[in-house]
Amino acid sequence: MSSNPASPPNGVSRRGFLSGSATLAVATPFVAHAAEQAAPGAAAKDPHAKVAVSFNINGKPYQLGLDARTSLLDALRDHAGLTGTKKGCDHGQCGACSVLVDGRRVLSCMSFAVMQEGAEITTIEGLASTDGALHPMQQAFVDHDAFQCGYCTPGQIMSAVGCVQEGHAENDDDIREYMSGNLCRCAAYPNIVAAIRQARDDMKEG
Amino acid sequence: MSDAAPRPNENMGEPFPRIDARLKVTGQAPYPADAPIANLAYGTFAVSSIARGKINAIDIEPAKAVPGVLAVFTHREMAGQLEHPKFGNAAASSIAPLDTTDILHDGQPLALVIAETFEASQEAAQAIRVDYAAEQPSATFDAQGTETVAAKEASEQFEEDVAAGDFEAAFAAAPVTIDQRYSTPTQHHNPIELFSTTAVWDGDGLTVHEPSQNVTGWKVELAHQLRMEPEKVRIVSRYIGGAFGSKGPMTSRTAIVAWAAKKVGRPVRCVVSREQSCMTQTYRAETRHHIRMGADRDGRITAFAHEGWEVTSRPDPYVVGGTSTTGRMYDYGSVLTKVSIVKADRNTPGYMRSPPETPYVYALENAMDEMAVALNMDPVEFRRVNDTQVEPIGKKPFSSRSLMTCYDQAAEAFGWKERNAAVGSMRDGDWLIGMGCATAIYPTNVAPCTVRLRLNADGGLRLQCGSHEIGTGVRTIAAQMASERLGIPMDKIEVEMGDSSLPPAPVSGGSVSTASVCSAVIKGCASIRGKLFSAVVSADGPLKGAEPATLDMKDGAITSSDGRSMPMKEAFVAMKTGVIEDYAEFAPDGATPEAVSKLYGGQSEMKGGEKGEKVKYAFGAEFVEVRINTRTREVRVPRIVGAFAAGRIMNTRTARSQLMGGMIWGISSALHEVTEIDPRAARYVNRDLQDYLVPVNADIRDLQVILVPEVDMDVNPAGVKGLGELGNVGTAAAIASAVYHATGKRIRDLPIRLETLLT
Ligand code: FES
Ligand code: FES
Repeated sequence: MSSNPASPPNGVSRRGFLSGSATLAVATPFVAHAAEQAAPGAAAKDPHAKVAVSFNINGKPYQLGLDARTSLLDALRDHAGLTGTKKGCDHGQCGACSVLVDGRRVLSCMSFAVMQEGAEITTIEGLASTDGALHPMQQAFVDHDAFQCGYCTPGQIMSAVGCVQEGHAENDDDIREYMSGNLCRCAAYPNIVAAIRQARDDMKEG
Repeated sequence: MSDAAPRPNENMGEPFPRIDARLKVTGQAPYPADAPIANLAYGTFAVSSIARGKINAIDIEPAKAVPGVLAVFTHREMAGQLEHPKFGNAAASSIAPLDTTDILHDGQPLALVIAETFEASQEAAQAIRVDYAAEQPSATFDAQGTETVAAKEASEQFEEDVAAGDFEAAFAAAPVTIDQRYSTPTQHHNPIELFSTTAVWDGDGLTVHEPSQNVTGWKVELAHQLRMEPEKVRIVSRYIGGAFGSKGPMTSRTAIVAWAAKKVGRPVRCVVSREQSCMTQTYRAETRHHIRMGADRDGRITAFAHEGWEVTSRPDPYVVGGTSTTGRMYDYGSVLTKVSIVKADRNTPGYMRSPPETPYVYALENAMDEMAVALNMDPVEFRRVNDTQVEPIGKKPFSSRSLMTCYDQAAEAFGWKERNAAVGSMRDGDWLIGMGCATAIYPTNVAPCTVRLRLNADGGLRLQCGSHEIGTGVRTIAAQMASERLGIPMDKIEVEMGDSSLPPAPVSGGSVSTASVCSAVIKGCASIRGKLFSAVVSADGPLKGAEPATLDMKDGAITSSDGRSMPMKEAFVAMKTGVIEDYAEFAPDGATPEAVSKLYGGQSEMKGGEKGEKVKYAFGAEFVEVRINTRTREVRVPRIVGAFAAGRIMNTRTARSQLMGGMIWGISSALHEVTEIDPRAARYVNRDLQDYLVPVNADIRDLQVILVPEVDMDVNPAGVKGLGELGNVGTAAAIASAVYHATGKRIRDLPIRLETLLT
């Protein structure tokens, strides 16, 4: 291994970062396991070296040391402990992993976590208010039985929030079209459309 | 009320929202691959790229060299380590990969890599090099080297080729006949949840977190393969991300991952890629059908013959044999059937939503439409003429059959009478319009089931049952049944399911769950009621001396038919107890005396369908409108209406959702789904969700579900007929009929794609 220190995109040197944090998780709600600790002196050229990345998830800061190949989805699920976001294909084909990144809907399986330095990420866990009140989209999915097994649901809901915010939920045809990246094998589609229609109006009022 | 929550009609329960809805919309529902496990290692399989032959050599050194790799296991390490799976019970196949150098299908697991990270395990699995002695595989029907065997000789699951009367004579004498062949393609379940196994050892005890429709069966089968006592094995599967049959049988993967976890001394999680899951899980095999039908001029069917062929693997005689249903569907004068299986170099197929009915009823109902055309009869009237309350094989009555009520209600809602019967007569600009209909049918099954209930004086109830929430709403429905019987509110009921340490329930397949679980809940509640009632009639209090038969539990109180009542809390005082716990075992009528102990042994003894004094089926009728673009031949389904009668409907919301999902599955079967097979390599080609087409939101427009009231107390104590597999039967035939009506083209091979309609 060479001893070239890698520079994380945020400008904090990897070496400094590492020496300052034994667990990579100081002041974050996340507790890393040993395997995630980047080896001191790990090199940029070593493809297996851990890379440091920091971003906010649901308003909380996270600092993770990750294999550069780790997808944002796996970072959320396996490293930040937020398993609400689901893996249905890992290839950008199903939408189960949809999250909001800086307010835009993104397939988290199609993005490397290290590309999200400094990003504001919202997942299904961050949608309800802290007092437990459901987001209008979540409530609408309950009201309209817009799921069966519930596995595609976090992705559907995140995508639906993005869809409304984009202004692509003004009529049923638009909803169907702009929600067609989110597969539901249980086929709750008519109920999903009804739920988004309700939440769109509630979100406007709210 | 919203469309999602239909107003309950006669014999229907309230549309309670799912009790686990909040967990599902907040990302808190724990699916098996979500289980937080400390010190987890990750597993990835390397699989075969040939379908038939042998491993000459396997080089795992490049894999071991990947940083973070903990171990690589192949047949060299694993041969003889596991007992072979027993096909036909909880195991998907008898094929025992990693025990042998023989390769029996493309995608057969050859090695398992365990690494510190998911990424390292993937990299290492790709680095494994295999030298094969490849042989030419036989992929499917018509390939050289396949072997065709009569189902009744090959399979114990297949009981008989049903027959009645003298078909050949009746067919020869019939004035109107059709003689046609139909086919259905290979399909994969592709639930959105990926398949996964997480194996955690604690001393000599093993817990496996894996999506399963049969936790008790898996516990026993996994213990068998690992040579352990079943009591040492626990399967946890609280939430399941879609199943459709794919998580019914356990695949070879589970025991291999568990064995590897023990070997490396770490918990191991293996999430199977979408591509590998298409090769290592089960699938719906392709089928072929030959139907001959004869009728007299006023439309009575005098002769019906249905011969079917199904593909299976070399070692396992998997068969669905839907002639048992098609042979009993109408009042045929004579019936002749035969089912054969065709053994090819493929992995073993398995149950997929309505396994026999989806392909076999498709063929029958397409033929029914052809016959209606040949007779120049309205297809609804043709079914009416041949409707019957007595099935033609054993001449046994249906316990209930509301088929024509379904047809009439669906036809009315659809506006069938607006249809101009002439082919190609309906058009809207560039779009040809076609309308068609077909029958849906599914056998009503019920199986032994056990449940534990724990009621406290405040009306709080804990209901434990090892059934499975695959999206049907069974948790909610079990709570509703208990709420009704014990007079306690839904929000006081906690339901635990999906764990083999709970009282066992049958495999969640064959649409048995609602009927079986509710029957067990009824029995458990009856016992609790009995205990409370006998206490209150003998203790001092308002109900002293009352006749127990006049008592009921309502709104948190024990009430008598003469108007007296007593809060439940006081009844507990009368009983001098704080908690009443009851464990109930339900076994259906006609079950063997061993049925419940077999359930503990992992076997579900199903009763219903064509077995018993009366035959038991649920029915429905589906009507569709298709629009076909005259230039592109694109096919759309703007409207679909289905009416279904399935005995007691426990919850109109979850019932509608299941039927809706089924109807969309039917549209998918007709127009979207097919697993393409490379005939040279016996390999599935479209092993991902981009190329394996399923409907997206924009494919589905107006969809209406009508719940037709029906009372049938012969089927089981709950009066429930399962409906999870009813909705997708017949739909594809209705669409094929509508395509014929629009274009005059009779499509007999699914799916119907625009290329089929271009000529
Ligand atoms: S998991 Fe990301 S799109 Fe399917
Ligand atoms: S609810 Fe099951 S996949 Fe959408």
